[in-house]
Amino acid sequence: MTSSFFGLQTSLRGLLTQQQAIDVTGHNIANANTSGYSRQEAVLEPTRPYIIPANSVNNGSGAQLGSGVDIAAIRRVRDQFLDLQYRAQQMSLGDASARTASLDKVEGAFAEPTDDGLAAQLSRFWDAWSDVANAPENAGARSALVTNAQTLTASFRTISDQLTTVAQQAQDEYDAITGASGDIANMASELSGLNRAIGDAVFRGMQPNDLMDRRDQLIDRLSQLAQVSVTDTGNSRFRIDFGGVTLVDPSTPAGFTWPQTLSRTPGGKLGALADLASATGPALTYRTQLDAVAADLVASVNALHTSTPFFDPAGRTAATIAVVATTGTVQTGSGRASGENDVAQAIARLRGGTTDQMYQALVARIGTEAQAAVRAESTSQSLVDSIEDRRQSVAGVSLDEEMTNLIRFQRGYQASARTMTTMDEMLETLITRTGRVGL
Amino acid sequence: MSMRVTTLMSSRATLRDLNDGLSRLTRLQDQLSSGKQISRPSDDPYGTSRALSLRGELGGLDQFQRNVDDGIGWLNTSDTALGQMSDVLARVRELLVNGGNDTTGPSSRAALADEIDQLAESVKQEADVQYGGRSVFSGTATDTPPYALGGADTYGGDAGTITRAIGPGVEIPINTDIRTLLGDGQGARDDKLLNTLRDISDHLRGGTTADANALRGTDLQRLDANLDVLNGIRADVGARTNRLDIASSRLSGLALNSTKLLSDVEDADMAQTITQYTTQQAAYSAALKAGANIVQTSLLDFLH
Repeated sequence: MTSSFFGLQTSLRGLLTQQQAIDVTGHNIANANTSGYSRQEAVLEPTRPYIIPANSVNNGSGAQLGSGVDIAAIRRVRDQFLDLQYRAQQMSLGDASARTASLDKVEGAFAEPTDDGLAAQLSRFWDAWSDVANAPENAGARSALVTNAQTLTASFRTISDQLTTVAQQAQDEYDAITGASGDIANMASELSGLNRAIGDAVFRGMQPNDLMDRRDQLIDRLSQLAQVSVTDTGNSRFRIDFGGVTLVDPSTPAGFTWPQTLSRTPGGKLGALADLASATGPALTYRTQLDAVAADLVASVNALHTSTPFFDPAGRTAATIAVVATTGTVQTGSGRASGENDVAQAIARLRGGTTDQMYQALVARIGTEAQAAVRAESTSQSLVDSIEDRRQSVAGVSLDEEMTNLIRFQRGYQASARTMTTMDEMLETLITRTGRVGL
Repeated sequence: MSMRVTTLMSSRATLRDLNDGLSRLTRLQDQLSSGKQISRPSDDPYGTSRALSLRGELGGLDQFQRNVDDGIGWLNTSDTALGQMSDVLARVRELLVNGGNDTTGPSSRAALADEIDQLAESVKQEADVQYGGRSVFSGTATDTPPYALGGADTYGGDAGTITRAIGPGVEIPINTDIRTLLGDGQGARDDKLLNTLRDISDHLRGGTTADANALRGTDLQRLDANLDVLNGIRADVGARTNRLDIASSRLSGLALNSTKLLSDVEDADMAQTITQYTTQQAAYSAALKAGANIVQTSLLDFLH
C-alpha cells in the first residue's frame, strides 16, 4: 500500500510543474517580438511510478501507481535544416545587395540618358565642329569649340574618377568589415564566448536555449558576409568555417582566429566587395571601356586634325584625356585659306561614328548588368523572406498559442490544487473524525 | 497540417507588402513627375541605348538644319549680288548699243566710256559682297575681296570650294567661282566680263572706224556671251538653293519622326501611368487598412 500522504506529493508535483510551464509560456510571450528568439516548450513527462509489490492487487500480480508529472526538458523549437537554407540565401542576398548598391553609384556617375550625359556632350562637341565648319574664319566659333572640348574631357575625367571611387569604396568597406576591430572580429569573439558557455551548460546536462539563439543569430549575420559552414564538435560547441578559413574553433585556446586572409572568392557581401574592388570587377572594367572610348575619340580627331594635335596624344585614357588645341591652333582646313573647312567638316562627320557607338554600347552594358543585379537582389530577397517565414512558422511565438497554453496550464494548476484540497479533506476525515465513536 | 502562423510573421508580411506597395508607388510617382519612363539605364537597357542613339541622331539633324539655313543665307547673298550684276550688264548693253550709233559724237562716247568704267567698278563691288563678314566670291580665301576696287582687275581669291554638310555624308558646295564670269581683266585677254567692259571703254574712247566696228560687232557678242554665263551661274545658284530648301523640309520631317520615336522610347505614357498610379494607390491604402486591422487582434482581445 502507498502512504497516506502519497497523493499530496503527486498534487504538489502537478502544481510545481504547471507553474513552471506557465513560466516558460511567460518567457515566450515576453520574447514574442525579440528577433532571433525561438519559442521554448516545456516537455512534460510522468515521473517514475510507485511500484506496488506482487500479491497486493486482486489477481496476485504487482502494479505501478503513477506518481505525477515533472518537466523533462525545456527545449527550443527550431528547424536546423531551415537555418541552412536561410544562411545560403542570406549569402546570395549579401552578394546581390552589395552589387546593386555599387552599380547604382555607377549609373549615377554616367547620368544617362540626360542632357548632361557624356552622349549629349559628345553630340554638342560634334555640333561645335559643324559650327566651326560653317564659320571657319570666326574666332568665336573656334573658342566655343575649345571650351566645349574642355567640358567634354572634364566629364570623361569626372566619370573615370567616380568609377575609381566606387571601386575604392568597395575596398574600404571590405577592409572595415574584415579589419582587426571590424564586424567579423567582434562576432568571432562573441561566438567563441558563446561556444564556451554553451559547451559547459550542455556538459552539465542543460540546454542553454537563449545562448543558442544568440549564437544562431550571429551565424545568420556572418552568413550574409561570406560562405559559412558549421560543424558540431561535441557538447554543441561549433566550429565555424567562414569564407574559406576556419574562423571559430573551440579546440584552440582563444576559440577563434582573426584577422585572417579569406579565400579569393569568399562569397556573400565580402565576395561581392572583393570583386567590385578588383581590376576585373565591374567598376574598373567600365573604366577600361571608357578609356577605350576616350582613346578612340583622341585617335579619330587627331588623325584628321593633322597640323597640331587637338587632344593631347599622350592622354589616351578617360582620366588623362586633355585638350591641347587653343582657339589659335584649331585647324579648320587642310590649306592656309581662312575659309577652308574640309578638316572641320571631316571631324564633324565623326558624329554617330565609332566613338558614339562604343559609348552607347558601354551604357547599354551597364544598364543590362545593373538590371540583372537588381533582379538578382529582389529574387534573393523574396527567397530569404519566404525561408524566414517558414522559420518563423516553426520557431516564432504565436500569441494565440501561448494564450491557449496559459489557459491550459492555469487550469492544470487549479485542478492540481483541487486534488490537493481533496487529499486534505480526506486526511482531515482520517485524523479528526476517525476513532471518535461515542465521544 | 496547415502552416503555423506566428505573431512576427504576420507583422513582417504586412510590413513587406507595405514596402513593396510604397516602392511601386514611388516609382510611378517618379515617372509621372519626370514624364520619363527611363530615368537610369537599368530601367530599360535596350530602351536606353535606343534613346541614346535617337538623341544623337536628333542632335545631328538639328545641326544639319543649322548648316542648311546657313547655306541658304550664303546662296541668297550670292544670288542678290548676281542679280545686281545682271542689272548692271543690262545698262552696259544699253550704253554699248547707244555708243555704237554713228550719230553719237566723240564727246558723248567719252562720257559713255566714263560710265562704263564706273559700271565695271560697281561689278567688282558687287563681287565683293559679304555674308557674315566673309567674301562669298573669293573661294576659300574669304578674308580677301575677290577684286580690288580701283585697282587691277585680277582675281584675288582662290579656286577653293566651300561646302555645307546637309546630311550624313552629304555635302554640297555653296560658293560660286566668280572668276568664270569676271575673269582676270584686260591683261589676261580671257574675254570674260571685266576684260569685255575695259575693252568697250577703250573702244568708246578710241574713235577709229575699227573701234566703232568693234563696238557694234565683237563687243556686243562678247557682252552677250558674258550675260549667258551670268545667267547660267544664277540658274546654278537657284538650283542649289532649291536643293537646300528640299533638304531643309526633309530634315524637319526626319527630326519630327525621330522626336516621336524618342518620345515613344523615353517618355512615360501619361494615361497609362496615371491609371497604374491610381490602382497602386488604392492597393496601398487597402494594405494599410488591412495591416491596421489584422496585426492588432489576437486571442488576448477576447479573454477576460
